[in-house]
Amino acid sequence: MSTRHDGHGHGEAPGEFQIATKVSEFEILELAVRELAIEKGLFSAEDHRKFAEWADGIGPHGGSKLVAKAWVDPEFKQRLLADGTKACLEVGIDWLQPTGSGTPSDYTFFYVLENTPKLHNVIVCTLCSCYPRPVLGMSPDWYRTPNYRRRMVRRPREVLAEFGLHLPEDVELRVHDSNQKSRFMVMPMRPEGTEGWSEKQLAEIVTRDTMIGVALPAPNRKSDTKTETLVSGGRRR
Amino acid sequence: MSAAPTTYDVLMDTLSDIGERTDAGMGCLEHEPAVWESRMQATCEALSSHGVLDNLERRLAEDRLGESVYARFPVQTRSTLVVTHLLMDQKVFTEEELRKRIEVVRDRFAEE
Repeated sequence: MSTRHDGHGHGEAPGEFQIATKVSEFEILELAVRELAIEKGLFSAEDHRKFAEWADGIGPHGGSKLVAKAWVDPEFKQRLLADGTKACLEVGIDWLQPTGSGTPSDYTFFYVLENTPKLHNVIVCTLCSCYPRPVLGMSPDWYRTPNYRRRMVRRPREVLAEFGLHLPEDVELRVHDSNQKSRFMVMPMRPEGTEGWSEKQLAEIVTRDTMIGVALPAPNRKSDTKTETLVSGGRRR
Repeated sequence: MSAAPTTYDVLMDTLSDIGERTDAGMGCLEHEPAVWESRMQATCEALSSHGVLDNLERRLAEDRLGESVYARFPVQTRSTLVVTHLLMDQKVFTEEELRKRIEVVRDRFAEE
């Protein structure tokens, strides 16, 4: 998460505020709809606050922590693979939050899929865009597109190649289709060159895309590619 | 054959603000989610938890309307557009009510 709480940085002095940028029409629309919904009694402001705070707290850092811990602690790894939901509690992720029974779409069975030298996993949701939000946060835009969802199950190697991931032919590729009650996350292999690293160091290279399965971790890779636009057919621009 | 979906001018008008999405392919450019996107997800969860608009029903509508009425809009706007669209379809509020509320919110932002 990039939320800054201290109010300074980037040249700001303490106590100064950044000049507000133009308010977008969608910011206005979102608030207008929320206010009308509350006025009409569809839900309360407190209901909304509860879900908003939960949404603000989740992100791929949760999954990164899980994977890094599993890389250095074989017993934790076994527990994570055996019962992902339960093992999450050990790193402070509770799938029952924020309501005590999860969100309407997140209280499910959570499975961690281990990559090996001969097996690569990748996740998708062909029906809608189910995603393991408690451990990965909000899904990226491309994950929700029909293009990714439809093509990943039909031509996974081609789609992975568009992400820059070229798997050898002798590596089996398994595409896991999420559904209303099952969520998946990929546990990538720990890369060479990370011997002796701390959990914190390791967590930094376990990016969101490596846990979706469209990228592999590397010692010098701490963020997912955000600057290129992938277009259908694999061309980059 | 099902009837063509309703279109709401109050929603179509927002295209000029967000800008048309010209790439129909997989990779709409990644972006850092804005606060309003996160808040709208909270609205979706609140609506679903109260049985007003089930999340799966909404997501299917996002596909259906996202590939027709809102095909020119970026993916990150679809939840907001479709939730609003469905609530107006359900007569929870009218287009006119929404327009008025938008102006109230806009004025409030202008004062801040």
